[in-house]
Amino acid sequence: MKHSQRAALLTLLNREMLSMGSWCGETHIQKATFFLQDLLGVDSGFEFILYRHGPFSFDLRDELSSMQAEDLLELATRREGYGPTYLPTPFSERFLERFPKTTARYLEQIKFVAGELGDKAVAELERLATAFFILDRECIVEVKPRAQRLVELKPHISLPEARMACERVDSLIERARPLMLEKEE
Amino acid sequence: MTKIFHEIRDPIHVFIHLDWYEKKVLDSRPFQRLRNITQLALTYLLYPGATHKRFEHSLGVMELASRVFDVITKPANLTDEVRGLVPDLGNADALPYWKHVLRMAALCHDIGHLPFSHAAEEELLPKGWSHERLSRSLIESDEMRTIWKSMVPRLDAEDIVKLAVGARKAKDLQFSKWEAILSEIIVGDAFGVDRIDYLLRDSHHTGVAYGKFDHYRLIDELRILPSFEGSSEPALGINGGGIYSAEALALARYFMFSQVYYHPIRLIYDRHLMDFLSAWLAQGSLLAAGTFPIDIEGHLKTTDDEVNAAMRIAASDPHAPGHYAAHCIMRHCHYKVLYERDSQDAKVNSEPGAAIAKAAEIEFGKDAVRYSKPKVKDVATDFPVCGRDGRIQAAISASETLSKLQPTAMEYVFIDPQLKDRAKTWLDKYRDNILATAGEQEDQDHEA
Repeated sequence: MKHSQRAALLTLLNREMLSMGSWCGETHIQKATFFLQDLLGVDSGFEFILYRHGPFSFDLRDELSSMQAEDLLELATRREGYGPTYLPTPFSERFLERFPKTTARYLEQIKFVAGELGDKAVAELERLATAFFILDRECIVEVKPRAQRLVELKPHISLPEARMACERVDSLIERARPLMLEKEE
Repeated sequence: MTKIFHEIRDPIHVFIHLDWYEKKVLDSRPFQRLRNITQLALTYLLYPGATHKRFEHSLGVMELASRVFDVITKPANLTDEVRGLVPDLGNADALPYWKHVLRMAALCHDIGHLPFSHAAEEELLPKGWSHERLSRSLIESDEMRTIWKSMVPRLDAEDIVKLAVGARKAKDLQFSKWEAILSEIIVGDAFGVDRIDYLLRDSHHTGVAYGKFDHYRLIDELRILPSFEGSSEPALGINGGGIYSAEALALARYFMFSQVYYHPIRLIYDRHLMDFLSAWLAQGSLLAAGTFPIDIEGHLKTTDDEVNAAMRIAASDPHAPGHYAAHCIMRHCHYKVLYERDSQDAKVNSEPGAAIAKAAEIEFGKDAVRYSKPKVKDVATDFPVCGRDGRIQAAISASETLSKLQPTAMEYVFIDPQLKDRAKTWLDKYRDNILATAGEQEDQDHEA
């Protein structure tokens, strides 16, 4: 995917997340992009590692900075809560109009992720994304050992919370199945 | 009698103190090599004073890392909430160990740098390698392990690696919250001391005053804080009283990037250097063909000195590999700016510079055109601020100045000076057409 197509993808994701009521801070975008890429197969080329609040991509952080520099996103302050929110700029919609193919190709996947995660707060996103990360990277399929591993990696998460997160992410995966894309060469 | 502590005079930090083990690192071959690696590559061709080396920068980073460690671990500067988030802070016996690790990591964080601290590592190193990976290899080498093992308590090389290169570059390693904070002290985007030292030092040596700021106040106000109110993740943040010095740091960085690091003439000298190095390495006479060596002995043998000597010979020998690039550098006849990114052009084409460079290559030939798109630098305003009432705010909520700072996208197209006038006329005529045509192709299926 070209740099500009990736920017279009994230612009669209930002718009859809906001429309579903997301706070849309960096953490929200990080986790949504993680599911979009690693669960649904949208090949945006970001590398996620386990870091702050679960799966995190430094490349994606760089991309968000580039998009600010290119007038596609802006940071808005809020008095309360997690910190700044990413908002589209007046130019964003015009930019998206130049990418009808990219938009059409990934709109369903983006809408799915926004619909599933848009109303989630950082703590829940962290639990869900880390539960999926463990399943995907460490192939721990069973809920019980996966929940234990989640607690091991994120000690501030309780075992019941971890178990619930694993069950929820399994059900999210089932709902996502019809939308999963083949890996692009 | 053997001296236990050593002190070194430094233009930025006045005195830097080292213990016996740190002196051993200082005297090691990987560290001594840094005496011959310039901090700012060929920037001295624009700013003649910029001949300082990675050697003194690394000492400065160690000094500052130590100061930050002392401030953020001071019991009076810790809240119960933070103690809860980072249980390691309660282990008083372990803190001296981690301070040693941090100082050694700071000393070693740049030992993998290529000659001229060269940024174009992707082209000049085998796939998957970077200067951070080379630093890691050196820290884990037998030569350095001998020092780590001789220490009391002995230091774990992996701990040093984590703090020296950070999670971004040590993706295979798991970082605890405590280790993440400690690595942030060195390589963090907001308050990393690598950044603090290079801004102060580069400013001093280039004579560009913009890079100076009140780092004493800044460091004194640093704290471990929750990333945001109620967050389970700690981060390096600042007390409300230090917000002005944090603003000054952000502004210093902004100015140093626009005035020094991303100065177009510096960028084109970087490109000429890369052209020379690619050609020089490809001949394989000194090094493994095509790239810089990644084995430890090969790396230790390669400094600015070897490159300078080869470049001087190549500049006066028309048949030598990389002759023209060496000539451009040695004779100061660099390529000239043909096009600079314009925000209006970027509305019709995301990378207008790339589109113009491609068209110019077709018109004037590949050798006559060079394109540079330096990485967009984050303004690094993502850190927590602790207000007078103890509430945690995001930095851009706490500071109107920080909220106004925006990262900047830059692109330059350079042209052979002999073609400059012709190329300007050509560009005036075809610019709009090139941008519009290339803009329409941006949504094509595959990368060009």
